Amino acid sequence: MSHEKAKTHLQGFHAEHGKLVAFADFQMPIWYNGIISEHLAVRNSVGIFDVTHMGRVLVSGKDSERFLNYVITNDVSTLQPLSAQYSVMCNENGGIIDDFVLSKLEENRFLMVYNSANRTKNFSWLTKHAARFQVEIEDVSENMAMFAVQGPKAEQTLNEVSSRDLTEIKRFKCGWTEIAGLDVFLTRTGYTGEDGFEVFVPNTTVSKPKSAVKVWNTILGAGEKFDIEPCGLGARDTLRLEAGMCLYGNDIDEKTTPLEARIIFVVKLHKADFLGREALVKQKAEGVKRKRVGLKMLEPGIPRAGSEVLLGGRRIGNVTSGTFSPLLKIGVAMAYVEPDHAKPEETVDVKIRNKSVKAKTVRFPLYDTERYGYSRKK
Amino acid sequence: MEGMESMGMHSQSFKTLRHLDNLLNTRGEILNMVKVNDVEVPEGLYYTEDYSWVKIEGEKARVGVTDYAQKQLREIVYAELPSEGDTIKQKEPYGTVESVKAVSDLIAPLSGKIEQVNGEVSNSPELLNEDPYEKGWLLVIAPDNLDELKSIMDHAKAVEWHKSL
Repeated sequence: MSHEKAKTHLQGFHAEHGKLVAFADFQMPIWYNGIISEHLAVRNSVGIFDVTHMGRVLVSGKDSERFLNYVITNDVSTLQPLSAQYSVMCNENGGIIDDFVLSKLEENRFLMVYNSANRTKNFSWLTKHAARFQVEIEDVSENMAMFAVQGPKAEQTLNEVSSRDLTEIKRFKCGWTEIAGLDVFLTRTGYTGEDGFEVFVPNTTVSKPKSAVKVWNTILGAGEKFDIEPCGLGARDTLRLEAGMCLYGNDIDEKTTPLEARIIFVVKLHKADFLGREALVKQKAEGVKRKRVGLKMLEPGIPRAGSEVLLGGRRIGNVTSGTFSPLLKIGVAMAYVEPDHAKPEETVDVKIRNKSVKAKTVRFPLYDTERYGYSRKK
Repeated sequence: MEGMESMGMHSQSFKTLRHLDNLLNTRGEILNMVKVNDVEVPEGLYYTEDYSWVKIEGEKARVGVTDYAQKQLREIVYAELPSEGDTIKQKEPYGTVESVKAVSDLIAPLSGKIEQVNGEVSNSPELLNEDPYEKGWLLVIAPDNLDELKSIMDHAKAVEWHKSL
């Protein structure tokens, strides 16, 4: 694959201030100042991420709700206008095609934001299953920029430059506002475990990036008093891992079900038939063979994807994502283990380069929720 | 490499202090600092293309990782080092250093028996970022054969090689 990587509207900024890497089909910053300082900026104050590489589709038409309720696992009928939900779509075996956030813009009009690496696959999956519905699926990824503004100071940062008071938009709600004289759409969602917003700047392409750049710079300026940091994919990954959020391709894939991943809260088995339902009902009755858990290292060492999890020398599972936690200052991981060992506070070993290193199973998020995350005590 | 510069004021003033420190190395010699594209390549050391440096101290050799390597890895958060008494073999891995995202092997620049291991680096791996040529040294070895130095880069070659990176 020697084709040139796609760039976002912010390519100039990233090239000047960041270290670029190839990610999915894009050239994206892995960091600017460093993963640890960016990570801590988000946990303690505010950070801004360019997430324009993500896929965005509009689903509209008179059958849009019925169609979505058929292809995705969460219940779309409970979604009020200007509200968002986390969801997945599954194949017939209950394996996860992708995970995403679905926002209801108005009756019969939805915005789906999914993983960059799955853009082509998802679009064909959606259009393939749309045949018997009166629904329109439009990929609007290219005509939009998207930023995530995350952290306990995200609301105050955006309120500095928003035409409307954003305290009105609660978690998992959405709405329009004006930033730097431009109409932008906001969802109060994110991938860090912190409070924050995702900001959609419409009607701007990579070749006409002016309004995207203007919004980015305006938010950076507004956040200066809070020591805002531009954040790269590195911090995005460490933040989501501490929060316990899955990364598609690592922690979930077409061979993993939402039951195994323990995101069953996005699967509404009681609703009318949907893709994967039968397999999931069956799996629920029979029980799963592995479950996703958090791991905290009790000894020095950093678990990585693929590391074996052992109990008394026997392999009970594998790490699917591992990193050094910038907040906890220890190695942490997401792993799938046999269900008998998936309860918290079990001491296990993680095999790191042929050495057994002690760890314990824990619940997500990995941080103290009274001090960090969106539900922290003010 | 521009991103490296935005580490901010404290890193700049730190560099100035370190520069003064570097005027005298552990044996009290003048150690001239040469910079190639903002990467420090001090005189008096040997270098490998696996990003190691070697300083000959009488019959011993002190070993570490280069400024270029630590800048590429950025925040080093973990170092796994061998033990005193172990032997290392030129061009073979003897340990690892890890940043938040990446694991990198440490490749031996020379063969020999390990006489000292820098325990400070295991406790504070950030020393590799802060001071790769002094406080961030990794091993002192008794080299098996100093002829091996011929197969690695002297300072002049290392400067040219760093220009090509």
